[in-house]
Amino acid sequence: MDFSIVIVVVCLVLAVALVVIYLVFGRSEANFTMDIGGAAPKAAGGSDSSSEKTTSSRLVGLLVGVGAVFSVLVARLWSMQLVSSEEYAEQAERNRRSTIYTQAPRGRILDRKGREIVTNRASLTVVADGAVVDDLIEVQLLGNLIGMPAQAVRRRLQDTTEGYQSPRMVSVDVSRRVVAFIGEHPDVFPGVSVQERTQRSYPHGSLAAHVVGYVGTVSQEQLEASGSGEDGTPEYRSGDVVGQSGVELSYESVLAGVRGEQTVFVDAHGDVLGYSTNIDPVPGSDVVLTLDIDIQAAAEESLARIVEQRRSAGADCPGGSVVAIDCTNGEVIAMASYPTFSPNVFTGGIAQSDWDVLSAEDSHYPLLNRAISGQYAAGSVIKPLTSFAALNYGIATPDSSWYCSGWWSWSGKSQGDTIMKCWQESGHGAIGLSSGITYSCDVVFYEIGKGFYNSENPEGMQETFRAYGLGSKTGIDLNGEEAGVIPDAAWKREHYKALGYSDEDSTWRGGDNCNISIGQGDVQVTCLQMAQSYCSIANRGPAWKPHVLKGVRAKVGESFVSEYRPEQVFSVEESDSFREVIERGMWGVTYEESESQASHWTNMSISVSSKTGTGEQIGPGRNICWFGCFAPSENPKYVVFSNVDGGDWGATTAMLVVRDTLGAIYGEPDNSDAVYAAGD
Amino acid sequence: MARELKEILTLGTKGSARRAAAAHASRLAGPLSGLYLSQLIPALLLVVIGVITIWSASISIPEANFVSHLAGIAIGLVAAVLVWRYDMRALSSMTTVLFVLACILMVLPRIPGLGYEVNGMMGWVRLGPVRFQPSEPSKIVVIFLMASAAAQYNGKIETFRDYARLCGTLLVPLLLIMTLDLGTGLVIFFIGATIIIVSGAPRTWVLLTIALIVGVAALVIITSMIDGLPHILKEYQLNRLIVFVDPDVDPTNNGYNLTQAMIAVGSGGFFGKGFGNATQALNGFVPEAQTDFVFSLFAEQFGFVGSLVLLSLFTWMIVSTVLLAMKTESMYMRLILVGCVGMWTFQVLENVGMCLGIMPITGIPLPFVSYGSSSMVVQLVSVGIVQSVWRHRQKAA
Repeated sequence: MDFSIVIVVVCLVLAVALVVIYLVFGRSEANFTMDIGGAAPKAAGGSDSSSEKTTSSRLVGLLVGVGAVFSVLVARLWSMQLVSSEEYAEQAERNRRSTIYTQAPRGRILDRKGREIVTNRASLTVVADGAVVDDLIEVQLLGNLIGMPAQAVRRRLQDTTEGYQSPRMVSVDVSRRVVAFIGEHPDVFPGVSVQERTQRSYPHGSLAAHVVGYVGTVSQEQLEASGSGEDGTPEYRSGDVVGQSGVELSYESVLAGVRGEQTVFVDAHGDVLGYSTNIDPVPGSDVVLTLDIDIQAAAEESLARIVEQRRSAGADCPGGSVVAIDCTNGEVIAMASYPTFSPNVFTGGIAQSDWDVLSAEDSHYPLLNRAISGQYAAGSVIKPLTSFAALNYGIATPDSSWYCSGWWSWSGKSQGDTIMKCWQESGHGAIGLSSGITYSCDVVFYEIGKGFYNSENPEGMQETFRAYGLGSKTGIDLNGEEAGVIPDAAWKREHYKALGYSDEDSTWRGGDNCNISIGQGDVQVTCLQMAQSYCSIANRGPAWKPHVLKGVRAKVGESFVSEYRPEQVFSVEESDSFREVIERGMWGVTYEESESQASHWTNMSISVSSKTGTGEQIGPGRNICWFGCFAPSENPKYVVFSNVDGGDWGATTAMLVVRDTLGAIYGEPDNSDAVYAAGD
Repeated sequence: MARELKEILTLGTKGSARRAAAAHASRLAGPLSGLYLSQLIPALLLVVIGVITIWSASISIPEANFVSHLAGIAIGLVAAVLVWRYDMRALSSMTTVLFVLACILMVLPRIPGLGYEVNGMMGWVRLGPVRFQPSEPSKIVVIFLMASAAAQYNGKIETFRDYARLCGTLLVPLLLIMTLDLGTGLVIFFIGATIIIVSGAPRTWVLLTIALIVGVAALVIITSMIDGLPHILKEYQLNRLIVFVDPDVDPTNNGYNLTQAMIAVGSGGFFGKGFGNATQALNGFVPEAQTDFVFSLFAEQFGFVGSLVLLSLFTWMIVSTVLLAMKTESMYMRLILVGCVGMWTFQVLENVGMCLGIMPITGIPLPFVSYGSSSMVVQLVSVGIVQSVWRHRQKAA
């Protein structure tokens, strides 16, 4: 600025100087020109009279210059309006079109009888034009009315994720008072209105929370993965509310529906000039689950009660899980994990404080679905499978008999060898395989483990466990499932070497065989895996893929547009004579192992075959208590399995959860209050 | 005077019969003989194109007042008739007065109380109810000034003193306006340079001067880009130069404007989108679509065909003016015509070229088409000047 004033001053001085020159020498100037004209011959070349020629040729040059200018302009116009016209036209179209998005209501999630587990509720939402953000007073008043800081209101108003022309969402679930006030004072709140939108709603609270999962704003990874068409999920936009776990995630493509798109013509300020194509939102489809909310509720309530009893008794009891499966087709009737959470805290965006609680270690990870993600030592519930292995590989026969003195060692000597105890330290005496299952005699299985170690098929047990589905995922239609571990020599070498152990310590030993024969050592299984293996035992071979989806409902009526087709994932061939041994043993667990235990089952109209288990967890130093069963024994329909991490005995914790769940299925509640003293 | 008026009123009614008269008698031969139709017709057609274009602009651009545009044309036509009737040779010896007038016009907007800003642009003057840009009439003043200063050498500038004096005469008003309004400054520079070159300045001196100007311009740009050195170019001017080189640098302001203007032109295609359908220029994507970016508005609606017609009319008008200059014997009159040619050519090049992305962005109106009364009046006056040269050509001999 200063500089240009300097130039102006200098120019004015120059101007005055020039004017003076003109005025003083103006006349002589003309004379001077005359003089030059007179003295023309002094110019070289003699082309003196060329003044006319010079200007004429320069005028021709001027014409050429003008021609050049216009040629350049026309050439450029040619390239823009003819050659590249389509690109520009496309950009112009992109400029003038804008899209307003409407979220489609998500489909409901129903139980097998069509009762709502997750639904949508109307939510009164305050929305406002983007232009409101410029009115500081209105923003402040709006904030005061809703009870939000003005800064937060402003940020919401500047959020254009639903399209620039869409009204901006200011606050969801506002009170009737706010709605009434805005309705009565349109002059105070120009551009602000109240809309009825939908929010996820959970009529049964946290019921089946781990199965149905929760929804949340689409994450960066989901955004990037969407639209590629790989997983069939719809193309997401930033700000979309999508399934984040459980059924909400597994069946996102069915539940989500298709968002509505209204194309509008806009000017440069984003003001709508006209409307173009409109695609109405397509609501998501309702999904029917295999769960039965009555049985689910009974299972959850029982599990919670048992865990809380343990906790109030001062035990370190992080949680537990229970699964009830229809073994004839793999339908999951109930699946619960404790501790649980309320999916409701996720609607409208989860508060940081809530998230901190849900992800804290001392709240025992409520978001974890222990039924499919919790990997634990199997303990004695694996013994029926060990028995099948022993029979198949000739380690034992249906008539084999062992002697249990309460302790056992590899060499049989009490000195100079590791002593391994049976849980019943007084010993079981002479005992066969069937009774070995019934009374869960560890010595019998130590012998089997030793027998395998010395046999031609040292890994026959592992092969049998794997044949029954252990060590790999069941493939249930829920995210986060774990595969568990069935250790063998190769696994041990690799795993232990990676942990830094010596070659010697990484070598498979006889003791390892004894450990896995009773489901301990490095064996890791999930509750669902065990349930699936018992399904195979109950079905005498076939096992179906466990699943929670029954079908997807048609938009109108209660029929299905698509139904889950049960899929047999494996079938284990066993000789009937072997099956009778194991089935007899498992029937015995229910009715013969102990009187107090039996009293919980004799009050049912059906017979039940089961197995208890109490595994020692070396790391945490607490027991993992198991109970699994199939019922009715003669013609099995259901497999129910439960585990409680930090229980005392299987029969005092997990068994009661299974009994309550099975009781809910058959409408026969457990009226026995017999407490099992000591037994496994 | 009455006879001449009658000539205008009876235009075209009895012209053809006497068309065969000798050239030196042509003024007497018919009522149309006082008009140089080869220049007048394209100019009036351009005015019509401007009226159509500004009409479309007035649909959605509140700043484009159609009535005011027509008023500007009316005032301009009256002024043109007055100029046409006036024999401008009276001005040939008034170099000093013209020089002072030019300087006054350039300084006017800087006088407190008179000058004021429109849209952040200096260069406007308010005299009572009248608001105008003195830079527009100063173009005409500079044409007369440079023509009268250069004509005295009669087509032959032989001493460096004379050349330097001519350049100096141009330089002072030029620098005064350039610091205020770079666009008009460039127009004035081109007017002056065209006149100096055509008036017979030696080629080597001209080339040396051009080299000097390029050097100074480069220096000005470079110092403006470096902190601590004097910034002669204003920031927006520097930005315009930068986005001219790469529009993506600043896609929200100048680069955005340029990109949007080019989209408007390109999306017009062969036949254009039709009258009133300029989705780019009329919906606010192209700024100043009624003035600086008026060509975008026109080309989007009327496409390549329309643009070709527009440029052909300009070419027709300019070429006929140059042809008239060739036939004009008076050096002074000839240089005046050359000045008009320089003004039109550069304004078309800059205004159209800017919309096509081949010239940097400056605020120069498209003659006869852009909205704005100051510009319209001045351009119509320039038409009157050409017509006056034609009308008084015999006396020039």
